[in-house]
Amino acid sequence: MTGITPEIQLPEEKSKARSPFQDSLRTFRKSKVAVVGTIIVAFFILLAIFGPWIAPQGINEQNLKLRLLPPSSAHWFGTDVFGRDIFSRVILGARLSLLVGFASVALSIIIGSILGILAGYYGKWVDTIISRFFDILLAFPSILLAIAIVTALGPSLFNALLAIAIVNVPNFGRLIRSKVLSIKEEEFITAARAVGMRDTRILWGHVLPNSMTPIIVQGTLAIATAIIEAAALGFLGLGAQAPQPEWGKMLADARIYLINAPWTMIFPGLAIMLTVLGFNLMGDGLRDAFDPKMKN
Amino acid sequence: MKKKSFVFVLLLILVLSTALAACGEKKDSGSDGDKKEKVLVFGRGADSVKLDPAAVTDGESLNVTKNIFETLINFGEQNTDLVPGLASKWETSKNGLEYTFELQKGVKFQDGTDFNAEAVVKNFERWMNGNAKKFPYFQSMFGGFKGDKNAVIKEVKADGEDKVIITLNYPQAPFLKNLAMTPFAIASPTALEKEGKNFEKKPVGTGPFTFVEWKRNDSITLKKNEDYWQKGLPKLDKVIFRSIPDNSARLNALTSGEIDLADGINPSDAKMIEDNPNLQLFKRPSLNVGYLGLTVTRKPFDDKKVRQAVNYAIDKQAIVDTFYEGQADVAKNPMPPVIKGFNDSVEDYKYDPEKAKKLLAESDYKGETIELWAMPVPRPYMPDGQKIAEAIQKNLEDVGMKSKIVNYEWGTYLDKASKGEADAFLLGWTGDNGDADNFLYTLLDEDNIGSNNYTFFKNAETHKLLKEAQKEVDEEKRAKLYEKAQEIIHDEAPWVAIAYSTPLLAGKKEITGFKAHPTGSDRFDTIDFK
Repeated sequence: MTGITPEIQLPEEKSKARSPFQDSLRTFRKSKVAVVGTIIVAFFILLAIFGPWIAPQGINEQNLKLRLLPPSSAHWFGTDVFGRDIFSRVILGARLSLLVGFASVALSIIIGSILGILAGYYGKWVDTIISRFFDILLAFPSILLAIAIVTALGPSLFNALLAIAIVNVPNFGRLIRSKVLSIKEEEFITAARAVGMRDTRILWGHVLPNSMTPIIVQGTLAIATAIIEAAALGFLGLGAQAPQPEWGKMLADARIYLINAPWTMIFPGLAIMLTVLGFNLMGDGLRDAFDPKMKN
Repeated sequence: MKKKSFVFVLLLILVLSTALAACGEKKDSGSDGDKKEKVLVFGRGADSVKLDPAAVTDGESLNVTKNIFETLINFGEQNTDLVPGLASKWETSKNGLEYTFELQKGVKFQDGTDFNAEAVVKNFERWMNGNAKKFPYFQSMFGGFKGDKNAVIKEVKADGEDKVIITLNYPQAPFLKNLAMTPFAIASPTALEKEGKNFEKKPVGTGPFTFVEWKRNDSITLKKNEDYWQKGLPKLDKVIFRSIPDNSARLNALTSGEIDLADGINPSDAKMIEDNPNLQLFKRPSLNVGYLGLTVTRKPFDDKKVRQAVNYAIDKQAIVDTFYEGQADVAKNPMPPVIKGFNDSVEDYKYDPEKAKKLLAESDYKGETIELWAMPVPRPYMPDGQKIAEAIQKNLEDVGMKSKIVNYEWGTYLDKASKGEADAFLLGWTGDNGDADNFLYTLLDEDNIGSNNYTFFKNAETHKLLKEAQKEVDEEKRAKLYEKAQEIIHDEAPWVAIAYSTPLLAGKKEITGFKAHPTGSDRFDTIDFK
């Protein structure tokens, strides 16, 4: 008898012991939409990593004699006006778009976090200065600000990445600032302070880890936006430069062949659409799973 | 919201174009039927700057003034032969210093003022007392203004009612051709006096159409000049010039019937237009050259071998086939073959990457990356500078020359290139009067460094030849001088001459009597609807 009781209690205990994180993960996994999003994202990440081995051609193997060929078994997505294989270029473009997406968001998270934490934790004039700075950045329509920054720095993929990162800084900064404001009133922070912990340790050891969840959610959604912004800058000729196979630039190049050779436009367009859709679905799923307010 | 904006814009374009297509069909019925007004809507790439022909240099201004004003001498229908205009006859003195023009009788300006010798003299006086800022074309075609050392025209006198005598300081071979250029059209002296500075907004000439109104960046409307001196012309009641900057959007406007005639058609759309039973394609006879300029004052192009290597490296035929879609011929000289003095015996640099590599190896080129400037806008001589640059980039890479494609906004591009800031740049030129001087001297003489000589090419021998040719009145001797100059220019290779293109226009099937002029300024008086 005595031996049985714990055996029965065990699964119950296990379920009780599930951490909030595991809980969220379960919600996430249950959401079909989120899983589809994750699969799409994973697919494009794999493309980005293994692209050069998958793509049948390089990015700039021009053969003007094979120009504007419709999709066929030799060229699955057809060829562009330079006779380059669009299939290869779309695959190799995944690396550029994801790179810009991830790197620019990572950069804006880093800058945004530092500024947000400083503003939220120290308050007073530090807060005023940083918050007003965010307000100024937010006052511009994001794509306009990005265009202005790229124009000042000169058009290139790296500068587009920087511009997108700068544009996104206030979003993350504000998010973290508000999170820090609420966390700093928590008892465990007061306790930490009471035992004489230094500010830096409190910030990095307690405040930051506790603010991470909304950042991950916001970050995933921001990657989608960043990819679109990079494509938009590329389309305007301010992002990636020839012959880089950036999807937005491919769209711009294909523009005048819209009627004669629609495949030059359809496939890069689809690639942009799918990645962005993937990140958005995944982001929405993450938000549903991690945001306490969204639960029941 | 942001994430949706891109998709949203695409959707918007789709919806808008569908909507436009729908509107267009209704309007279509207006243009046929005899009782209705015959209105031609002409779609073009940009708005005019001013409507005073002498004060502008841009094609879009001149294209409008061409229909309001007339010149003493006209160019032929589709060539640059000289035919009578406001002057019915002219004579040149033996020494080439005195020109006598006999004017048409019974011509009136659109405001009722009589056209006579006095009016012509007043126009010349106005130009000659101006300055380069006011009348830039006068400066470059006639050497300067009253009192300038190089001024071609000494004086202009009326001899009775319908005779004008122009005396020159020194003979100028292309003088009559210069006079036939659209900018040197005769304006109503009464209107000039009355309107003053406002004349450029309210032009009055003797031409087939009268100015009605100008909506900036949208449209310019002209109506039929009922008292036009040439009987039976113009055939249209109204012409509307509409600016639609994007080539594809303009073609869409044409297919939907919103406009009747469209300038600047992408060569890639030519086939679609020919296949469309409602449209017809017009070809403008070629009087242009598109080229890659190599700035000879900059490294590595200060070395002749590098310039020649680039000439061998570029597959011009492939570029012409691909980006001009056959609507061009591969170029070998800095001026098109229709111009007298074209040197056909010059042997073009053949596409030969191996030879290019060899020349590069012999040269001072150390493998540095060059800047390759690409035009941001489609031009008649080069429909898609960006893509041509990309093809050239690849050609150069194949022979071991790395390049970076650089873009600027069009105005900045021209300005910076004219200051010699580009290593290699794409550009072109459309002839104004069909004379060799207008290409070789204008584009490649040291006198024009800082204006139209973007490569900073300077050569004592060609300078002497070109200067001499300006004063040589004998056509054959003059042609020889230009032929010699082309040989030297070919060897020195400041350019890679890429193509002589045939600019395309498209119009509705019903349009008759339209003849696209090689200079790019078209007369609409003979156009009619079937």
